[in-house]
Amino acid sequence: MLLRVRRNMPLALSVLVLMVVVLAPFYWIFSSSIKEPQEIIARRPTLFPQSFTLQHYDKLLNHSQFPTYLRNSLIVAVGTMVITVVLSTLAAYGLYRLRFPGRQVLFRVILVTYAFPGVLLLVPLYNMMSKLGLVDRLLALVIVDVTLAAPFAVWMLQAFFRTIPQELEEAAALDGATRLGIIVRILLPLAAPGVAAIAIFAFITSWTEYIFSSILIVSEANRTVPVGLAGIIGQYQVDWGLLLAGASVTALPVLVLFGLVGRNFVEGLTAGAVR
Amino acid sequence: MRNTTPHTARARLWANFRSEWLSINTLMGYAFVLPLLLWLAATILYPLLVSIQISVQNIKFIGTPGEYVGLDNYQRVLSSPYFHAALKNSAIWVVANALVQTVLAFAAALILKQQFVGNRIARIWIILSWVVPTVVVVIIWRWLLSASGGIVNYSLQALGIIDKPMGFFSTGNTAFISVILINSWRWFPFNAVILLAALQRIPAELYEAAAVDGANVVQKFRFITLPSLQPVLFVMGLIGTLLSFNVFDVIWLLTGGGPSRATTTLPVLIYDTAFKKYRLSQAAAMSVLTGIILLVFAALFIRFLSPASEDSDER
Repeated sequence: MLLRVRRNMPLALSVLVLMVVVLAPFYWIFSSSIKEPQEIIARRPTLFPQSFTLQHYDKLLNHSQFPTYLRNSLIVAVGTMVITVVLSTLAAYGLYRLRFPGRQVLFRVILVTYAFPGVLLLVPLYNMMSKLGLVDRLLALVIVDVTLAAPFAVWMLQAFFRTIPQELEEAAALDGATRLGIIVRILLPLAAPGVAAIAIFAFITSWTEYIFSSILIVSEANRTVPVGLAGIIGQYQVDWGLLLAGASVTALPVLVLFGLVGRNFVEGLTAGAVR
Repeated sequence: MRNTTPHTARARLWANFRSEWLSINTLMGYAFVLPLLLWLAATILYPLLVSIQISVQNIKFIGTPGEYVGLDNYQRVLSSPYFHAALKNSAIWVVANALVQTVLAFAAALILKQQFVGNRIARIWIILSWVVPTVVVVIIWRWLLSASGGIVNYSLQALGIIDKPMGFFSTGNTAFISVILINSWRWFPFNAVILLAALQRIPAELYEAAAVDGANVVQKFRFITLPSLQPVLFVMGLIGTLLSFNVFDVIWLLTGGGPSRATTTLPVLIYDTAFKKYRLSQAAAMSVLTGIILLVFAALFIRFLSPASEDSDER
């Protein structure tokens, strides 16, 4: 027994170091966000809060624009999620369930758009949106976010669509099911973990997006969370309590979603890469 | 086939074409992919053409009209020391990120591959830094590195490495290193998870056979692990480089491209030129040039580093 523990010491230690490196910063902002202001900037940082207060959260949620940012981000993220799921599921069905010439090329084209550096689109997309009258509209962000999320979503669906036996579809077709009926009644339920994974991916992509939101949205009332929070960072006197509470609340929905379907998410993420 | 008449050959071609391209499956296939393709064409392909058009005009603010000025913007950009500096910074950025992330990702993947209590949970939650918004990452690290109340400064002082709190973003070098490390912290778990999946695909028999032949750890890594990982490393190298090149918000929100332009990479320069300095056409010219540079990079990468087996395991 002792021998086993000793042999496992390096492993246990390296796992510990890895998890501390990755997760401790999150603990640190959360634990600091419930400290009294004096304790936050104390010369000697406290690992465990010595004081407890919700004043930063109260300020954030009741006396700042943050709830507006939250609402805007939520609208954009849900819109992005719905459109991405529809477009990528359709495309994935075509690419992975039907055999036709040019399929491989289409798949590559979609993949290339994922690696395409979005920064090259800043100027022309702003130009386009201003011509369409979409500047300062949340719809503009939905349009851009779908473009950022959908190609990778198609890639993630690969693993989930490929594993469903073709015979199931054939049997349903023999029973007189229509193509759409087959997709909705047979494929989608079986690929549900994959669809959940891409829905979360689309949500997170949109929830996180900063660069396009920072130029396409002009008014305070239409800002999303990342741009709104960044605005608080930029203020002259840094209010750490408010910022840390803001960061915690912003991370929260991601943590919840990830807790629910994190397994599928990672599975979809990796399955495409190592086929 | 040589003695068939042109007529029958053409008929056969047509028949092939009809059976392949006009079959119901083909039409259905394209119909399913079409909505996404149109969407991407409207939001990527068309804007690319628009940026070429903007780059040969002299538009400053969005919405104001411009005149055709030929290649003036390109000349100005190509002779601008700022563009050269940003190009160099981008190169350093991409290479440094690749090095740091590869080392960390390999280490993390090898650790996660082991059997230990909770490894299934660890394999999922490790990518937390990749899924939270960049602005959260930025707040985390500004806070950790803060001069007042920041844990890093406190620890370095307690260990006697520095005697007063240092501003990590106040000199060019420390700012650049800090931003690279922070971005690597954000991305290495993502790469680790993909490497881990690839590692798990390598058949254990290969290692067992090598052990029978008396191979040591280094030899196993060199002759089994690396070759098996080649296709994944190729994809990660190509896509990872492009994604890492594209990183903007971490840099912008931590340093704003400073101090004195030390952390201004090409994306930062393009953003700054278009939306802070209001020289839209010039920024468009920079985008087009950057696009060309990346295209050349991708072509060279594929030409020289593409794994030989890639075509054979095509479906």
